[in-house]
Amino acid sequence: MLSLLVVAGALTALSAGIAGAWSPCGFSMVDTIGTALGDARRPVMIFATATFTAGALAGGAITFGSLALLGGLLGHGGGGLRDALAGALALAAAYADWRGLRIAPQIRRQVPERWRWIMPLPLACGLYGLLLGLGFTTFVLSFAVWALAGISFAADSAIFGVVVGVAFGVGRALPVLWIAPRLRSERGERALERLALEPRLWLGLRRLDAIGLGACAVALAGSGALAAAPNFATDPSAYGGSFAWQKVGGNGFLFADARIIKLAGSLPALGGGKLAYVADGQIAISAGVPSHSPITIPGPPDSTIDALAVSARWLIVRDEAGSGLENLFAVSLLDHARRRYIAGSSTAGAISRPAIEGDTVVWAYSSASQSDIYAENLRTGARRVVASATKNVQYSSPSLDAGRLLYVQTDRCQQELLLGSPLSSTQSHARLLLRLPSTVMRDPGWQPGYVQNYNSASLCPNRGPGAGGTTTLGATALSGSLAYVGESPVTDVKHTTIVRIGLH
Amino acid sequence: MRTDRSTLSDAVVRQSSRRGFLERLGGAVIALAGAQTIASAALATDADANPYTNFCGHTYTTGNCPAPTGLPRIDRNGYPLRASDGVPVDDLGRPVNAEGQPIDAGGSVLTDADGVPLAPAPRTKVCETAGEDYKVELALDGSWYRCCGGTVRRIRDCCGVTNVRINGDAALTGYCYPGRHVFCVTYFQTSMPC
Repeated sequence: MLSLLVVAGALTALSAGIAGAWSPCGFSMVDTIGTALGDARRPVMIFATATFTAGALAGGAITFGSLALLGGLLGHGGGGLRDALAGALALAAAYADWRGLRIAPQIRRQVPERWRWIMPLPLACGLYGLLLGLGFTTFVLSFAVWALAGISFAADSAIFGVVVGVAFGVGRALPVLWIAPRLRSERGERALERLALEPRLWLGLRRLDAIGLGACAVALAGSGALAAAPNFATDPSAYGGSFAWQKVGGNGFLFADARIIKLAGSLPALGGGKLAYVADGQIAISAGVPSHSPITIPGPPDSTIDALAVSARWLIVRDEAGSGLENLFAVSLLDHARRRYIAGSSTAGAISRPAIEGDTVVWAYSSASQSDIYAENLRTGARRVVASATKNVQYSSPSLDAGRLLYVQTDRCQQELLLGSPLSSTQSHARLLLRLPSTVMRDPGWQPGYVQNYNSASLCPNRGPGAGGTTTLGATALSGSLAYVGESPVTDVKHTTIVRIGLH
Repeated sequence: MRTDRSTLSDAVVRQSSRRGFLERLGGAVIALAGAQTIASAALATDADANPYTNFCGHTYTTGNCPAPTGLPRIDRNGYPLRASDGVPVDDLGRPVNAEGQPIDAGGSVLTDADGVPLAPAPRTKVCETAGEDYKVELALDGSWYRCCGGTVRRIRDCCGVTNVRINGDAALTGYCYPGRHVFCVTYFQTSMPC
């Protein structure tokens, strides 16, 4: 949904930026750049146009990018409410812009005129561009500017903020780029005159803003539904714009094409444009959304399937046999009889929920002596260890997307959600997305009544003694600019929720 | 035997007057009391009065070995236990069963939201793992025993060929074998009442 939001937000910002040309500052800029130096020093004027444009782009990126970063700093919680509020703001602004209501709150400030006289023109124009690009330092000419600020804050994605800001800056620069170089010609003068005498053009742009904001509201509504749906849910799976999850103790669900679908089975998995889930002991596979005639693959006899992963060519199944043995195997979707055994364990839970992209499957294997994440190419059989520990650390919950590896790393002090590479044998450069304190009970490292000293090795820098964190990180999914992770309350795993984190 | 013993007693009595016997008895008592005083002053320690560092039984200032739940309590093989109750824990500090699976307070295996048991995690020896973390080859060497919490506690020094201890300053000899020094300390709580 972020991609629709980005496109709609960028187009709205572009239109809102152009609408800014009808402000006193907008007109002043055209005139300043177009007439200040005359034809004799046209190259300097062209240079000033360039610095103005650069300033406007930078200003827009600073304002909207900062708002997005600020939204991200407030954490990823409350995503559904935040999206709903932003969507409501977008709709309200769309209504106001469509009706051409008077802008409020109004900022009645202009760029400093004296800069034009005391600075070289390119420098002054660069600073003028920066102020206009910042958006809120001078006249605001559409409600869309306010709404885009709120949406940037709610989107929790710096990429969205920067894209919107740059688009706004482009919009602010376009009228100047269009008219200023020609201002001393008759065509240029006519263009400026038309601009000044045709407020209907401005109102038309505001209506374009309204349409754009409507699209933003739709995207946010879908996004909000997505964020709100996975309460009491686990096993996230994502591909493209679709997202699937398992309701705890219930069915699987799919969010696709802006609607939520209850599946006729459980343990849904998305990948390679396919959807797989378990229904009546069989594995149903369909393209994208559930179909009336899915491909069915019989489940292994005398076993319980407890995790799936799917790609365009492979289905990955984790099951637990009646004997207690846990197995992980792959089934070719081109030839169902072709199966490849991947891993096994006599300890239930030792093999993690798998993930697959293309021919590469990843899974974690943990025992009392080691914890590893493996990646195997099912076509060639080549297997690599992409993360490994024989002490202190547990790796779990890997997922793949676009050559990136998302996983959870836990030690005695903390749990971390990390974004690394399935091609690397160490994850030393993995990017931290989320850090929570460990959930285990810890003592203070000394006994009351005795001298406390030299016990720093017994302490955790991020948490104190006692019960620790209340949330355990679980299953993950990764798709595009969003990461998903299950968060289970220590006291009741049935209240597990799925949270999404924007990848800035 | 009985005849020999009677004979010996009789001989002593025969060789001693009553007054001389009492004099010797008094001298012996005085000597015993003096010896006890000297011995107390020179040798014994008050089990409860020592200024132990961080935990009962640990004298001097070498720091704790890093342990999953804080205090460096270990089992007889050097694996970590939760200090408060002696429950085995893995390297993440989670109570675990014999298979290494995390368990709850009642001993039941913990599961995820799907009902699948949570994955085990490495469970390693506290002293040796400290060595790997600090790039020193370490092992549990000698011990000393003290009475702590009503049972005997074995203070186990984690030693290596090192002149630096976990505190960052000079390492002490402690209970380590010759040529080795204490890097950090652990303890094992026995079930022997004291």
